[in-house]
Order: sequence, then structure tokens, then C-alpha cells
Amino acid sequence: MNILLENFVVRAYIAGALVGVAAPTIGCFLVQRKLSLIGDGMGHLAFAGVAIGVALGFTPVWGALVMAILGALLLERLRARGRLSSDLSLALIFYFGIALGVVVLSATGEFNATAFGVLFGSPFSTTDHELVVISALCILVLVVTAVFYKELLAVALDEETARASGLPVDQLNVLMVVMVALLVAAGMRVVGLLLMAALMVVPVATGSRLAHSFRGAMYWAVGAGVLSALLGVVIAVEQGSLAPGGTIVLTSIGLFFVAAVVGRRAARLHTRGGAQ
Amino acid sequence: MQVTVAFSDVKFGYGATHTLDGADLQLSAGEFIVLAGSNGSGKSTLLKLCLGLLKPQGGHIEVLGGSPFDPNVLRRTGYAPQGLRMATSLPVSVTEVVAAGLTPSKRFFHRMNRLDWRKINTAIDSVGLGDLSAECLFELSGGQQQRAILARALVGEPALLLLDEPTTGIDRGLRPALAAELRRRADLGATVVTVSHDPDDFHEVTDRILVIQDGQIEQITHEEFHTHFDPRAPE
Repeated sequence: MNILLENFVVRAYIAGALVGVAAPTIGCFLVQRKLSLIGDGMGHLAFAGVAIGVALGFTPVWGALVMAILGALLLERLRARGRLSSDLSLALIFYFGIALGVVVLSATGEFNATAFGVLFGSPFSTTDHELVVISALCILVLVVTAVFYKELLAVALDEETARASGLPVDQLNVLMVVMVALLVAAGMRVVGLLLMAALMVVPVATGSRLAHSFRGAMYWAVGAGVLSALLGVVIAVEQGSLAPGGTIVLTSIGLFFVAAVVGRRAARLHTRGGAQ
Repeated sequence: MQVTVAFSDVKFGYGATHTLDGADLQLSAGEFIVLAGSNGSGKSTLLKLCLGLLKPQGGHIEVLGGSPFDPNVLRRTGYAPQGLRMATSLPVSVTEVVAAGLTPSKRFFHRMNRLDWRKINTAIDSVGLGDLSAECLFELSGGQQQRAILARALVGEPALLLLDEPTTGIDRGLRPALAAELRRRADLGATVVTVSHDPDDFHEVTDRILVIQDGQIEQITHEEFHTHFDPRAPE
């Protein structure tokens, strides 16, 4: 049987494609609001959650989920109070999470290949149970985004005007960061906690080069996210020794450069068309 | 005439500076008000107090018969802030920006229907951007961007329109048409309040010119503005 169709690879395709759809979808709102680094912060905190979960005997994804949600609420509270404006406060949270995770894992004798899998992804070892959890989290994020799309967009465009027009901006902000937390937990197995934020940002950058509207950029970003995940898995399988988390993110960066060139040419044609 | 905005003994300041110090104000439905004066006199602050973005340090404010912190009141207002206040990271079409002005009046789960899209297109046409509705906002000129922001404020057909320097960057030749559109909204019953350094833009359509002076809101004539308050006038 072709190795690209083996069960463990198919599970990696499915997990990667789901995260490839959901991460850029929510990433569009983050990038528009200049909150690209929030996903990174939650990834670092989720690592501490994984470590605590392992120490207490839980499945890693649940520890990551709980810690990422708590971290999301903390980050949003700091941001809303204007205390997250400096890089320093965000950096402190990053380092606290990763250091706590390393200390707890080493104390429990688990600072080994498991830790690398959590940090950098190991989609080929996705179990059926994890696939169900990843699917449920990604579908939940997509459904919530679809339901609140117009409200999230209004806040992303101009928070002050959205607040002045009576939208529940604080609640929508909390909703958004909780969805990021869910995605960090969902993507942990696919690209790892350290690279998950890349899937929320890089495909969005790709989409921004190809569209004239937010919705258009989102569609392109989702396409780039899915393509990156599938191609990244194929490259990792074909090469045998490459880490799929890295190949997925590098593929998405490659797609960004292609889009940058195509987008620039399209923009020139658009300008010429408009001038004629 | 129905009172739409009522300030009673309102106090507000930044630090030791008292922008409003026991100020009173009454605006009615159908009025077109220009709020004039120099930078830092408190014009934008007054708009933000009406919108619940700032909290008065004393006194009482009533907007459209309710509190300016009540979402049901705020949904009946339209606000155009000064300049583009959005990140330019992702492309956003003119239509998307204007549609965002209708979002607060729509319930969660409810998508835009045909009537909504008609309102959106009408608002875009009313500011002269009909041909550019599908274009990315950030690729337009400053004046065109300002007109899109104005359309966002107009699209919900609000009972109270609060506009902060709405003609900034807009060609002088286009300003009379915009002023006429705002006058039309007032004639239909809306209260229109526009902050402006230059009341001449709205001379033909204005009912009252107000200035903030010594913590009070005072009504002046066009001539008094040019004599005492025009920041371009020689000392």
C-alpha cells in the first residue's frame, strides 16, 4: 500500500486540514487587530498546561486546553485594561509558561520525546480519540465564527466605533481569545504549540496579498492553510526524517512568497485596468 | 420638538483641565448642529460623552430618551470618528466597512437580507462611492476613505448622527453635496451634530453653531465664529 494512504498518514491529513481551515479563519480577526502574538502567548502557556496535565495523569490536550483558556482570559483582561501594550508584559507571560512547563516535565521525568511532540507537533501519532477532540474543537470554532462573523468583523475594523454603536465588545473579545485557546489545543498535535500561531498568521498574510476584501482574504487564507497542511504532511512522509510541524509551516511560508509575487502582478494589472 | 440630547450640569475634564464645567445642552430632532472651535476645546469629548465612550464626572446626560450607556440607545446612533481608525493589515472592501454600520441593529445569527443590502448600497451611493464599493478601502484616497466612514454612520438611518470632522480630506467641490445629504437626514427627523473647524462647509444647512468656552456650551452666529473662534483668523 502507498505510504501516503496509510491510516496514520490519513489521520494526519484530516487533523492538518481541520486545523488548516480553522486557524486562518480566526487568525484573520487577530491579524486585523494586530494581535498576532496572542496565539504564541497561549501556546507557551498551554505547554505549562500539558506539563501539569502529564504530572496529574491527564491526556496532554486537556491540560493544554484548560491552561490556554485560563491564559486567554488573563491576556484579554490585561489587554482590555491597557496593560498589554508593551512587549514586556507579553514576553513575561511567554517565558513563564514555557519555563513552568520545562520545570514540571523535568521534575516528573517526562522531559523527553513527548515534550518535543507537544512543542513541535507529531501528527503521525494522532490517535482516534485525539482526532475526535481536534475535529470537535475546530468545528466549534468554525461554527462560532460563522454565527458571530459580522460582529467580530465590526470589532476588528474599529473597536471604538463598535463600542459606540452598542455592540458587546468586551464579551466578543473574550469569545475571540477563547476560540484562539481552543485552536491552540487543537493544533498542538498537528504543528506543535510553538508553531501553532504560525498557522493563524502566515496563511492570513498570504490571503491579504490576493484579495480586495476581508472575506476574500479569509477564503484565500483558508485555502493556503489547508494546502500547507496537506503538502507539509506529504513532504514529511516522502522525505521520511523531516518533522511535519516544520514542513507544514515552511510550506505556508513558501505559499506566502508565491502569493506576494502573484499579488503584486495582479495589483499592477488592476491599477492599469483602473487607469484605462 | 422632541429632545434627543440633554446635558444637565455636566462636568468633565482631563486632569486639572475642565473641558465641561456644569454645562447644559438641549438638541432636538431635526436639528443640524455644527460644533466648532479650536483644537482641544472639547468637541470630540462632547461626542464621546453622548456615545457613552466617556463617563461624565458630574451632572446628567440623556440621549434619545435613555442612558448613553444603554446598547438599545446606542444602536439608534451613527458615529463617524475623525479619520481612519482601523488597522490596515488585511484588505477590507468599502461594502464591508459600510455593512459594519448595520451590524449593531441586526441580531446574532441574523444575516444581512435584501433590504439591508439595499440600505448599504444606498448609503454608499449617497456619499458618491457607488463605483468603488468593491474596492479595498486602504487603496482609496483619504477623502474617499472618509466618505466610506461617513456612509457607515449613515447606513443605519440613525436618529442621532455624531460626526467628527466628516469633511477632512474631502474635495471642496464634493462638500456641498455631502452637506445637502446630511441636511436631508435632519429634515427626515434625525439630529445631526458635526464637529468642524470650518462651519463654512455647512453654512447653507446649519441650524445652530455651538462652541465650548470656559466649560460651557454656547451658541454663536456664523459671524461671531469668524470674529472670535476661527483658528485661521489673524490675531
